Amino acid sequence: QEFRFGPCRVQGVALQELREAFWTVKDTVQAKDNITSVRLLRKEVLQDVSDAESCYLIRALLKFYLNTVFKNYLDEAADVRIRRSFSTLANNFFVIASKLQPSEDEMFSISESARRRFLLFQRAFKQLDIQAAQTKAFGEVDILLTWMEKFYEF
Amino acid sequence: DGVAVLPAPQNLSVQSTNMKHLLTWSPVIVPGEIIYYFVEYQGEYESLYMSHIWIPSSWCSPTEGPACDITDDITATVPYNLRVRATLGSQTSAWSTLQHPFNRNSTILTPPVMEVTKDGFHLVIKLEDLGPQFEFLVAYWRREPDAKEHVKVVRSRGIPVHLETMEPGAAYCVKVRTFVKAIGRHSPFSQAECVKVQGEALPL
Repeated sequence: QEFRFGPCRVQGVALQELREAFWTVKDTVQAKDNITSVRLLRKEVLQDVSDAESCYLIRALLKFYLNTVFKNYLDEAADVRIRRSFSTLANNFFVIASKLQPSEDEMFSISESARRRFLLFQRAFKQLDIQAAQTKAFGEVDILLTWMEKFYEF
Repeated sequence: DGVAVLPAPQNLSVQSTNMKHLLTWSPVIVPGEIIYYFVEYQGEYESLYMSHIWIPSSWCSPTEGPACDITDDITATVPYNLRVRATLGSQTSAWSTLQHPFNRNSTILTPPVMEVTKDGFHLVIKLEDLGPQFEFLVAYWRREPDAKEHVKVVRSRGIPVHLETMEPGAAYCVKVRTFVKAIGRHSPFSQAECVKVQGEALPL
């Protein structure tokens, strides 16, 4: 059981547990997203990502989730189930992000391609009101987990 | 919020063995009264970025205590802060927080319990069910000089596993240890257990 984002290996995180954590709150979380015409993690961001690109992209996405999406998502009134699932996701994303070390000497074009994909996501996020954007991004964690599963060795 | 008149629970500590984590504390005693306790936790992410956010424990909000199985709350290999408070009716104590954050990578891993049996000429092992986070590394060999040790990784739990078809008259030994993927650690090996197959060794 480990993630293999190209050269980046991450052990010690059970993807199934993250899926179960999100599944518990999926309906509640996604019901709060009123902007159904917009998708942040759209095809151009995640489709046909090469192994070499994947480490750069996942690191950028996870850091964004940790620093921008999750950081202000919870308030003290948040439902206990959401807090529990949130804690499982945030702390395991924290573990994964801390173990990702993309190589420095990769070809510039690879990291640049990953950066362009991430910027597509970030621009779409910034076009929304911050709270709506955080709600939508949190609701799209299942899309992110599905993409991450492609790089997971059971 | 109730006025904090009850003494806060003291001596919080966590005992963790084979990825089962138990938080304990000294009970608050009020003669003739039942004290209830509330346990809450926060992972490293919450403590760094949203330290005001605490999460009620799955099984102990409330509990009559003074212990709480926090295994289901510890869902990442990061340090966790834990706190407990006592309540009696509307009276509420202050929170007591575990002095050092708990990380599941400190759990004590014990050699697993195994049952080695013969099913005819088949060497069979049955391992205790320690949960989905555990793999078993089984080493087995024929007891003879310069014996070659074979290794098999077993992920199935609590069901018999065939290791080897044995030769008549020979003795075979087995030892096993666990591996926990979530923390990347092994347990010590168990004691070796040997079994012997009846009958004469077949002429070559």
